Amino acid sequence: MKILVLNCGSSSIKYQFFNMQTEEVLAKGVVEKIGLNGSFLKNKRFDGDKLLLEGEILDHQIGIEYIVGVLISEKHGCIKSLEEIDAVGHRVVHGAEKFKASIRITMEMIEKVEQCSDLAPLHNPPNLKGIYAIDELLPNVMQVAVFDTAFHQTMEPHAYMYAIPYSLYTKYGIRRYGFHGTSHRYVSHRCGEILGQDVKDLKIISCHLGNGASIAAIQGGVSVDTSMGLTPVEGLIMGTRCGDLDLGAFTYIMDKEEIGLSAANTLINKHSGMLGVSGISSDMRDIENAVEEGNERAKLAMDMYQYRVKKYIGAYAAAMNGVDVIIFTGGIGENDINTRGAICLGLEFLGTSLDMDKHSELRGKEAIISSDDSKVKLMVIPTNEELVIARDTMEIKKNSIQ
Amino acid sequence: MAERLEDYALGKRATNTKGTIKKVGLVGGGSMGQEIAVEVSKAGIDVILIDLNPDRIEEIKGMISNLLDIRINRWGMTTGDKKAILSRIQFSTDFCDLVDSNIVIECINTKKSVSNIESRKEVFKSIEKCVGEDTVIASNASTVLIADLAIVLNHPERSIGIHFISPASSVDIIEVNKCVITNQVTSDIIEKFAKVIKKKIIHVTASPGNISTRLIIPLINEACELLMEGVGTVEDIDNTLMLGFGMQLGPFALADKIGLDKLLKWMEGLYDEFGDKKYKTSPIIKRMVRANLMGKRTGEGFYIYENEKRRSKAGSIINLGREI
Repeated sequence: MKILVLNCGSSSIKYQFFNMQTEEVLAKGVVEKIGLNGSFLKNKRFDGDKLLLEGEILDHQIGIEYIVGVLISEKHGCIKSLEEIDAVGHRVVHGAEKFKASIRITMEMIEKVEQCSDLAPLHNPPNLKGIYAIDELLPNVMQVAVFDTAFHQTMEPHAYMYAIPYSLYTKYGIRRYGFHGTSHRYVSHRCGEILGQDVKDLKIISCHLGNGASIAAIQGGVSVDTSMGLTPVEGLIMGTRCGDLDLGAFTYIMDKEEIGLSAANTLINKHSGMLGVSGISSDMRDIENAVEEGNERAKLAMDMYQYRVKKYIGAYAAAMNGVDVIIFTGGIGENDINTRGAICLGLEFLGTSLDMDKHSELRGKEAIISSDDSKVKLMVIPTNEELVIARDTMEIKKNSIQ
Repeated sequence: MAERLEDYALGKRATNTKGTIKKVGLVGGGSMGQEIAVEVSKAGIDVILIDLNPDRIEEIKGMISNLLDIRINRWGMTTGDKKAILSRIQFSTDFCDLVDSNIVIECINTKKSVSNIESRKEVFKSIEKCVGEDTVIASNASTVLIADLAIVLNHPERSIGIHFISPASSVDIIEVNKCVITNQVTSDIIEKFAKVIKKKIIHVTASPGNISTRLIIPLINEACELLMEGVGTVEDIDNTLMLGFGMQLGPFALADKIGLDKLLKWMEGLYDEFGDKKYKTSPIIKRMVRANLMGKRTGEGFYIYENEKRRSKAGSIINLGREI
């Protein structure tokens, strides 16, 4: 079975094309700057063949048409005809409370996803455009939606409710939903496989530290709490997002700076986080370089970042009455040895013991980085959201055939 | 030979790119021209800004850059956004560079305190000489009827009024003013344009002053009356409308922001058209324009402006607010 996985953003489409017999990636790539000047498509085939095409890509449908066009092309493609695409899996950011698992896309489902767009006005509409585009281009191909929020739907009300008037929950669905669910799900299950233990018997804290960052408490194989909330701004400090912030401070800033909603939104989403504190960059590598050069604000930003992650690990260990495994994933979690090391040191009270040799050599590979006698395992597991989407899509496709 | 993206189309929609707005021309690099340039570029459309004075080009570039810096400082955008916006704006003194624009908007602003309808007509003619037959030719004029400009064109059916309100970045409407001969294609392109730059269209039946200018001019005039009668002070009158009715700016702060010279032109334009005294320029505004107290732009109008802050004047209105 061959499955196309699409992740449609506001002006970009990321894609991977899988052969599910081997879970091999036949081709992957990206379409960027949709509807803007300088749009292009980049494709990389399994054998290393690379293609860059520049030209006009006005909307998502046209972008997807070109993606499929490349996949079936003689020169750079990997299949002979459209019929070889058995199903298409889509990343959909917000499934609100309506979707607790991945689903086959039908007209009725699309309507429900449309209703969730209110909660993710930047993300869901482009996701839907991808779905509509495939519906038009490949009308007979089954489509599946995999939601970023679905994995966290197992949280109990005491974890997901905010202490604001209850009517706001009933009126608008204001609550914690959490994101990166597909990633947390993948690494927690993969952790069980690597350790040879049933994930249901484990208490896991999963740290997805990328440009966006969130942390999840996973007990019995399901999410019991996570740091992102109604929107992806809450929780950890991120590249340009502030994470947890006193709401009193926020309204005070709006009043003092005389800014409206739109600028306030940009302030917490684009001007804050590592960039805002350091004044240097949102990229952890730039900040680390600055720390080495003795930049104090960069050092402060780093300290705040690590401290915030550590605080959440402590909180989630308390929430689960203990922890067996702490997983690091995402660009920073997988590759940034300094940050990972600093977070792990000082968690010894939980029963962790970092193996400095294993840890300080490890980048972007699956491994246990705690010492053999560590009561709590520290692990690095590179995430693979696309594979989860492909697997869910295959599962649903198979079930529909039976 | 490099491969073409189009070769990978499946023949469904990808080759059909007709009717898209890729480039917008602007004639006139005054404050409104600058604001429109930013709004259009922000939406990912290329901009060519024409100003006939070559000495002004560098100044305009600097002013646009400042405009964006203010927004960055007020948390409204990032330095990355600024870079992207500036990269899409080109400048020229030559009308011929408008050639491949889908829409050209005239937004000239002469410093002279007389109606500039004749200059606008000249600009319309110059635009038409350089652009293709399907280019929409629009005017941002607020008190000039689009029909009066359209008559100078060989193809008047492509002309339309699009009035932006300052600050264009936060005002989410444009007033669109069709004349009798404006054709459907033109209206459709403007619909699409408004959608891309995320503005709601307020359709206005051809009338000088549209809705916005017609309403604010009597308001500002009446505020001047109140001031002259000694009913209230500048800040009390402004506060009444701001705090009492939730307006963002009171009439005097608004007048200063627009610029009293520009306001005077609007008032005279509407008074000429309608002959109603509610549009007749208040003597205070005339005196202030003569004294070069144009408002925010010159640092003094009904208020004093220093470092982006507004402060009240202490003196009597007889002395135009100044302490003697």
